[in-house]
Amino acid sequence: MINLNESTCPTREQRANGINSYNGKASQLVKDAKEGKLVNRERIFQQNSGCILNFYLTVRVATIRDAVMIVHAPVGCSAPAALYREVFRRIPVSQGRPEKLDFHWLTTNITEKDAIYGAGDKLKRTIEEAQRRYNPKAIFILTSCTSGIIGEDIEGIVSEVQPNIEATLVPIHCEGIRSRIVQTGYDAFWHGILKYLVKKPKKKQHDLVNVASMLSYTWQDKVEITRLLSKIGLRVNFIPEFATVEQFETLSEAALTAPLCPTYTDYLSKGLEQEYGVPYFLYPSPIGIANTDEWLRTIGRYLGKEEEVEKVIAEEHKEWLPKLEKIREGFEALKKDGKEYSVLGSLGQGRLLTQTPFFHELGISTPVTICQDFDNLILEEVEQLLATVGDFDIVINTFQAAEVAHTARKYNPDMVLSCPFMGSAYKREKGQTRIHALRGDARDWSTQAGYKGAIACGNFLLQATKNRSFQQTMLAKTPDTYHSWWYEQPDPHYYHKKVEV
Amino acid sequence: MSQVENKLSETAIDLYPEVSESPRYTCALGGAYGATLATYGNVPILHSGAGCGMANAHGLTFASGLNTGGAQGTTSTPCSCLVEEHVIFGGEQKLKDLVKSSIEIMKGDLFTVISGCVPALIGDDVDAVIQEFQDRATILHVNAPGFSGTSYNGYEAYLDAVIDQLLTEVPVEKNLVNILGIVPNQHVFWKGDLENIKNLLEKIGIKVNTIFLNFNGVESLKKIPAAELNLVFSPWVGIKAAEKLKEKFGTPYEIISHVPVGPKDSSALLRKIGDVLGLSKDLVHDVINEEERKAYRYTEYLSEAFMISVPHAYYGVVADSRTAIELVRYGSNELGWNPEIVIVTDNPPEEYREAIIKGLTENLEGVVNPKVIFEIDSHKIRQELNKHTLQVLLASSLEKYIAHDELDAIHLSIAYPVYDKVIVDKSYAGYRGGIALFEDLSATFAGPL
Repeated sequence: MINLNESTCPTREQRANGINSYNGKASQLVKDAKEGKLVNRERIFQQNSGCILNFYLTVRVATIRDAVMIVHAPVGCSAPAALYREVFRRIPVSQGRPEKLDFHWLTTNITEKDAIYGAGDKLKRTIEEAQRRYNPKAIFILTSCTSGIIGEDIEGIVSEVQPNIEATLVPIHCEGIRSRIVQTGYDAFWHGILKYLVKKPKKKQHDLVNVASMLSYTWQDKVEITRLLSKIGLRVNFIPEFATVEQFETLSEAALTAPLCPTYTDYLSKGLEQEYGVPYFLYPSPIGIANTDEWLRTIGRYLGKEEEVEKVIAEEHKEWLPKLEKIREGFEALKKDGKEYSVLGSLGQGRLLTQTPFFHELGISTPVTICQDFDNLILEEVEQLLATVGDFDIVINTFQAAEVAHTARKYNPDMVLSCPFMGSAYKREKGQTRIHALRGDARDWSTQAGYKGAIACGNFLLQATKNRSFQQTMLAKTPDTYHSWWYEQPDPHYYHKKVEV
Repeated sequence: MSQVENKLSETAIDLYPEVSESPRYTCALGGAYGATLATYGNVPILHSGAGCGMANAHGLTFASGLNTGGAQGTTSTPCSCLVEEHVIFGGEQKLKDLVKSSIEIMKGDLFTVISGCVPALIGDDVDAVIQEFQDRATILHVNAPGFSGTSYNGYEAYLDAVIDQLLTEVPVEKNLVNILGIVPNQHVFWKGDLENIKNLLEKIGIKVNTIFLNFNGVESLKKIPAAELNLVFSPWVGIKAAEKLKEKFGTPYEIISHVPVGPKDSSALLRKIGDVLGLSKDLVHDVINEEERKAYRYTEYLSEAFMISVPHAYYGVVADSRTAIELVRYGSNELGWNPEIVIVTDNPPEEYREAIIKGLTENLEGVVNPKVIFEIDSHKIRQELNKHTLQVLLASSLEKYIAHDELDAIHLSIAYPVYDKVIVDKSYAGYRGGIALFEDLSATFAGPL
C-alpha cells in the first residue's frame, strides 16, 4: 500500500526488509526472506557505495525536459550533475534524440552559516529564481544529509511557495542518511512523481505502455523496445531520462506499466495501479531471447494482443535464432573438460533476474553472483529463476570493491562482469569486461534489450573472451589495493559485524 | 505568466550569490579527497555519508578528464557510510572500526581521515578517535565538511593538516623548491602541469618537489620543509599554505600566479627563479636560448594551418583564475589573438581579485584588453558569452555545445569540468605547451582546404 498522504516513501528496509549484506546460497536467501529472517549487518570495513541522492538521482532528474532540478545541499552533492549539458548529446538526432536538449539545475549551495541558521528562505528564493529564469513546467527539489539534519521544513516551504509559482513543485526526500539501500532513492523519486506530478487521466490511451528505465540501459535499448512494441501497434512512454513533464503527468493514461528493471519500477508500478488502475507486471524483463518472448506475451495478454505477439515472435525468431545459435557455438567451443564457460556478474536485483537466465541461454554458467542489494519484492521471481537455472552462490553488497575483488579471486570464474566504477576489479589473469554500457551510448554494439540486444550482448561477451592483455598487464604491472591476507582468508564478509542492524 | 512574475522577488539571487546553476567546483571534502588520492601511498578514509565519495568520483575525478582517482579512488575508498542511526548515536564507533580495518586491509604509508558534513553536524570527536591509532599508523585528519567551502578550500585544508600534523623541521636543501597552487583534479591538467614544471625547472638545475605524483608520496610531504623556496602557481590558491610554511619553517615563497604556457612565459619563469635563487645567468640564458629556438622552430610547422584557420581570433576564456591568466597571456602574447572576454569561475576571495584582474589585463601585446567577470553561475556565464562575438572559446566542456550552437566558436575544454575527453598527463605548460594546445584545438576543425 502506497500512502501518498505521507511526504515520502518508507525506506526499502521498512517496506521490503531490504539488506545489502549476505553471503550464501540463493536458495537459502529466499528461504530466509520468506521466513522474514533477512538480516542486515553493519560493516567494520566499508567503501564508497553511493547514497540515495547520489546513486544517481542528480544525474537523472537533471535530464527531465522542461523541468529544473534544485539540489538543496552543500555544493558537492550536485557535482555529478555537471555533465548535464553534454550527456545524451552524442546520440545522433537521426536516431531520434530530441534536437533541443537544454537542461537546467541549481544548487542552493548550503554554507556553514546556513547549517546554523537554516536555509529555508534561501530555498524559497531559489525556487522563485528557477521559475523566473527558466519558466519550467516542474521544479524538483532534492534534499540532502545536511538539509535533513538541520531540519529544513521542505513540505512547509513547498506549500507556502507553490501558490506563487507556476511550475509544479516536486520535493524528493533523498537525504543520503535515510537508508542503507540505494533503491530507497528510486522509491523516493517515484513517490514525488506520484504525489505531485501524475495527473488524473483525461482519457485512457489504450495503446500506451509505460516503461521506466535505468541509466544502465542504452539509447539502442529504447529504440529496440519501441520497434518491438510498435510492431504490435503500441506506443511507449519512456521515463525518466529525456522525458517531458507531460510524459509524467500522463503516466496515469497508459494501458500498462511494463518493466525493464522490476525493483526499480516497483514503487511506480504499484502506485499507478493503486491510484489510477493502470495494471502492471514486474517480470520478466526483455533481456535475452526467451525473456523477450515472455515479456511480449505478457504485454499481449494484458492488452489483448496475443495473436499479434505470436506473429512478431515467430518473425523475430526467424531473424535472430540462427545468430543466437552461432553465439552458443562460440561458448560451446570454450568449454573445458565438459565444463561451461563461467561468469561472475555484478548485478542489481533487476539484473540478477534478467541476466542470469540470459547467460544460461548463451550456454554460460553462473556459479556465483554479486547482487547490490536484496529485498522481499522479488521472492517468487527468484524462486522461478532457481527452478530454471539451479542454485548458485550469491554475495550481496553495494559496490564493496574489496568484497568484489575477494569473490572474484575465490571463485575465479572465466569472466568477471563489473559495473562501471568498480575499483580495480578489472585487473585479472582471466577475463573481465563491463556488465553494461550507459545511457548515452548510442552504438548498436552496446544494445542489451530485446532480440537485437540479446544478440549484440552475446556477441559482445564472446568478443570479450578473445584477448585479456589489458587486464593481465595491469594486474602484473600495478600493485593491488589490498594486502594479500585479505585474499588468503576465505570470507568476503570477514568485516561484517555479527550483530543485526 | 507575467502576473506571476511580478510577485517574484527581484533580489532572490542577490541575497544569496552562492545559489547557482552548475558551479565549477565541488565541495571541501572533494578537494581534500582529490589531494589525498594525488599523494601516492596516502589512503583516504571518508567519514561521511555513503554518497560523498561517489559524488566526488563522478563530480571531481571523472569530471576532470574522465579519471578514476587511482587504486584507492572511486569504490575502493574506505568510507564510514553514515546513516540515521549514526546521526542519533554518533559516528565515532563506526569510524573507529573503519580506521582499524583500513589499516589492516589497505596498502598505504599514510592514512587521511576526511570528515564531511554529517560528523560536523552531529559533533563527532574525530581527533580523539584517530588518537587511539597513532601507534599503529600515521593518520591525518582533514576537517572538510562540504558546507565549509569549495574544492579549492579542501585542497588548502589538506595542506594545512599536513603542515600541522605531519611536518617537522628538516635541513634545507639548496635549490629545492615546492610547487603549490596546482589543485589535483580541479585543475584538470594537474598531472602533466606538475611534470612539465618539474622538467622545466630541472633544466636550470633546480630540484623540484611536486608533492603529488611521486611514488613515495609521504616522503614528498615530509620533504616540504626542506625547500629553499616555495612557488605558488596561482594568484590565490596555496598562498595560505606558503604563508604557514614561512611562519613555521622560514621558507620564503614567490607567487607566480600562473603556469607558463609557451616559450615567453616559460623563459620569464626561468629568469625569475634563476634570479631569486641566484643561479648562473649564463646557464639560464643558454637554456632559454636552446629551448626557445626549438619551440619556435616547431611552431613553424603549424604556422600555415594556424594562419588559415584562426588568425587574430577574438577569443573568450571561461576558467579558474590561474588557468585564465595563462591562456589569456598565451593567446594574446604568442598567437596574436584578441582576448575579448574572461570569465573567472573559481570564486577567488575578494582580496585577491585586483591582482587577478591585473594578471588578466596588464602586459598583454596587441590593443585588446579583455572584459573580466567573476562568475560561478553557468546560466549567467552562458548569457554573458552570448553578448560577444568570438571565434575561439577556451572553457569547460559545459560550453562545448553552447560554443557550437550559439556562438559559432571553436571550443576546447581546458578547465573543470571536462567530460569530453580523457586527460592523463596532457599539459599546456612549458615551452611546448602552446603547440600542444594548438594541436588539440585544431583537432576540432582543421582539415583540407
